[in-house]
Amino acid sequence: MQSFSHAICLGLKGSAVAAIAFVYAPLGAFAHGAHIQARTASAVEIQASYDTGEPMAAAQVHVYAPENPQIPLLTGVTDESGRFVFVPDQPGNWEISVRQAGHGDLTVVPVAEGGGLTEGFTNDIGLTPLQRVIIAGAVTWGCVGTALYFWRGKR
Amino acid sequence: MHIPDGLLPVPVCVAGYAISGGLTWVALRQIHKTSDPREEVPKAALLAAAFFVGSSISLPIPPTSVHLLLNGLLGAMLGWYAWPAILIGLLLQAVLLGHGGLTTLGVNAVILGLPALIAGQVFQFRHRLTRTLKPKLLLGIFSFLAGSLGVALTVLIFFPLLVFTIPSNLNQAMEQGFLTALLVAHIPLILLEGVFTLLLCFFLLRVKPELLDP
Repeated sequence: MQSFSHAICLGLKGSAVAAIAFVYAPLGAFAHGAHIQARTASAVEIQASYDTGEPMAAAQVHVYAPENPQIPLLTGVTDESGRFVFVPDQPGNWEISVRQAGHGDLTVVPVAEGGGLTEGFTNDIGLTPLQRVIIAGAVTWGCVGTALYFWRGKR
Repeated sequence: MHIPDGLLPVPVCVAGYAISGGLTWVALRQIHKTSDPREEVPKAALLAAAFFVGSSISLPIPPTSVHLLLNGLLGAMLGWYAWPAILIGLLLQAVLLGHGGLTTLGVNAVILGLPALIAGQVFQFRHRLTRTLKPKLLLGIFSFLAGSLGVALTVLIFFPLLVFTIPSNLNQAMEQGFLTALLVAHIPLILLEGVFTLLLCFFLLRVKPELLDP
């Protein structure tokens, strides 16, 4: 008898839960209220540019989280200045690829605890115009030297 | 026109190395067949320098900018020697300037070197038409053709290669739109390099005509 009354009691509880769910579910689906909350976060900004210094505007960006370097966590497009901002949610090495019309680059951004860049991180700024001129001059001189060597041997 | 590391799938990079390896073998065999293989080395060295520096000279053609290729010119001037000259030029550009990449060296060599070899054969074809047209006119026509054909064929290899290898996670329509814009920007370069090759050939015809026939 006691077990019968316990069963009835459980059955009533179950139907009460079902009734609450039935009433609550349509309310949630039709709720039109929306809220925006603001908070401060530490973001990483990248800037992509071509060798000529021209910004890579509207280039496609893929951001890969440290634990999954295969599937991009975030995709987006750079702005007119070649900039793109994202908020890393965990420390580690974040990989970012930027690509446009068969040109592009892949870089690793080390993020520390708290979302900032790891201390001591420096950007690879590539070659300066002066370095480019020196390299071009050295290669040209090397080629001229080769030409002179073979030309001399021919005489 | 130099594809950097990381943009192409591994099988394409391997295929690029395989094709460029075969072409290197063919080019070196052809060079070995000449009476004095060392004879053309000074010219090849100087034009390899021009090729190396040419990629750093960018021309602003809105909405983008393109850089000189000069592969058609090398093909016309050097014939089979154009292949090793371009290969060495590309290697130095990848290592010293970061222009292109080491994994894509084979692909880039095919993109730029194969059109150079074809342009070289086209330039030599003028000797078969000496009975029909004046030699100077033939030189003008075929030098322009060789110079512009080098760039045109490079563009024709470059664009399908990139369009068919766009990763699925990329916005296909957007990437194809930018590739088309880059393709259109190369049309003036095709004409420009044709005219440049023509002017250089006429200059050499006046000062050192023996350089025109390797």
